[in-house]
Amino acid sequence: MSTTATPALELSGIEMHYGFVRALDDIDFHVMPGEVVGLLGDNGAGKSTLLKVMSGAHRPSHGTIRVHGREHAFHAPSDAADAGVQMVYQDLSLVEPQDIAINLNLGQETLRKGPLGWLGFIDRKAMRRSSELELDRLGVRTAPMTRPVEMLSGGQRQVVALARSAIRVSGESRGILLLDEPTAALGYEQTRQVEALIRRMADQGIAIVVVTHDLPLCYEVTDRLVILNRGRKVADLPTAGADRDHVVGWITGSRASMFAEAAS
Amino acid sequence: MTTNSEATVAGPGGTTPAGPPPAPTPADQDMPRAVSVLVFLRDRGIFVLWGLLIVAFAFWCSPYFFKVDNALLIANAAALTALFAAGVGIGIMTGVLDLSLPGTAAVASCVCGWVLTHGHPTWLGLAAGLGTGVAVGVVNGLITIRGFNPIIVTIGTLSVLSGLAAVIAGGYTFPGLTQLEFMGTHRYLRAGDSFSGIPAPVFIVAGVFVVGTVFLTRTREGIRLMAVGGNAEAVRRAGIHADRYTVLGFVISGVLAALGGLVSTAVVTEANPNASPQIIFSALTAVALAGVALTGGRGSLPRVLVGALILATISNGLTIRGVQPYWATVCTGALLLASLLIERVIQASVSERLMAANLSVHQRKV
Repeated sequence: MSTTATPALELSGIEMHYGFVRALDDIDFHVMPGEVVGLLGDNGAGKSTLLKVMSGAHRPSHGTIRVHGREHAFHAPSDAADAGVQMVYQDLSLVEPQDIAINLNLGQETLRKGPLGWLGFIDRKAMRRSSELELDRLGVRTAPMTRPVEMLSGGQRQVVALARSAIRVSGESRGILLLDEPTAALGYEQTRQVEALIRRMADQGIAIVVVTHDLPLCYEVTDRLVILNRGRKVADLPTAGADRDHVVGWITGSRASMFAEAAS
Repeated sequence: MTTNSEATVAGPGGTTPAGPPPAPTPADQDMPRAVSVLVFLRDRGIFVLWGLLIVAFAFWCSPYFFKVDNALLIANAAALTALFAAGVGIGIMTGVLDLSLPGTAAVASCVCGWVLTHGHPTWLGLAAGLGTGVAVGVVNGLITIRGFNPIIVTIGTLSVLSGLAAVIAGGYTFPGLTQLEFMGTHRYLRAGDSFSGIPAPVFIVAGVFVVGTVFLTRTREGIRLMAVGGNAEAVRRAGIHADRYTVLGFVISGVLAALGGLVSTAVVTEANPNASPQIIFSALTAVALAGVALTGGRGSLPRVLVGALILATISNGLTIRGVQPYWATVCTGALLLASLLIERVIQASVSERLMAANLSVHQRKV
């Protein structure tokens, strides 16, 4: 599964304070290339805050972030994106009136060759072809590339949003995808589609962090579970063989942290 | 690794997974036929409407309406509205409603008038006028991207600009600008006695709309401009400086407003500092007829042009029949309301059919 011993993304000793509130308390977290880690926790446990630290939206009060072994300080989401960390948002990430090809290529459009290209003319055909190739590679051909996003179903949109991020990170260095509730508001079949896509992206070497409330999704796609409770990491264990009752216990706080036992 | 088997099923050959989980919708399954027809009507309905109007007037106002000379009359009458409508329209597609257009037009024509009456060459006057448009657009844009509502900002600049225009003109007008006649009342491509030629503003409008349409649909900057209007946040998240495109939208609408001001100055050979709000309302009517959603990101310039032409066609036809001109505005208003209604019905029907076909559609806010 993992090809190198260096984690794709590694956070150590992350602390985050909001005034007197300690949102994250000494969190260690890592994800290997090709690994899918589920980040679980009740509301207010700190999942979203940790995700924002990873995506560069928040700067931690303490702690270090390493991407493929190199230490980074993210001042803005664009820094994280430059380092190969892409956040996939639940919504607001697609331009509805534009078609799939444009949405997939936004920000890195293919220009036409020759003088027309110098004038900024885009090559729609090339963009459609490359979009089709990329979606084929991910095994998701949802609709014709010329279809505007506003005419897609919720599941198809989520697939396009995921694929767009995947295309962006699968460039030079193998990237890291952060997914925030990727299947919220999706139906059963659409959820299965997205699950399959997440697995396929991981098989291509992308490191993936999934924040979710959806336990079945976690068991379906993740290799490892990290559970937060009130800003602390209370569990970090392989998904295979993780007892569902224990997991729920850690999430709700009724079960003591697996690290507290070791420490005392 | 519970789903490893599924991953292997979908190989690189593009074969969608056959077993569970359910395969994604195959690529070639297209929209139901009824939906295609409805979408066509939604997007191209205005062309059909214009065609119907022409046919109706051709019979009703026979034999005066359906003639080349009358067509040129209509095109010339629509030209100014079309120029301002292009400005407002591109602004709205970019996500900004620029209400300062009349002010920009007045200042641009007064600046041009000042330059020309002080004995400077014509090109300098035109350049100064257009430059005014660029400057106004930059100011509008830079204020708006600080997080202010573009409508309020441009109402403010409208007030400032109409005052400035009067200051430049010193309370009077700049009359006798005959140098500008070449882009005003002059006609080109005259062919003997049979054809009196095409008025200059028609050429200008044609140029603006061809260039604008190509820019918005074929170039990277144009497509990003439209995308910013559709969802600025998504564009920002794609790593593009969305704010620059907002400013660009204001600059384009400012330049088109200035051009409109210059052309109207050329037609009457007089630069007038009065910023007529009528300009913005007829432009907005054309844009709304064209079905450009005020929420931004949607719309097309050819439709805006037809919107302006429809206004001119109605007014022309009714004039030929000797109907009082007030009825023309009554008609266009009623037409606008009817088109809203039709669009709502079509949109609802499309949504319903797509839902039934297991495809959803974004419920458009009108």
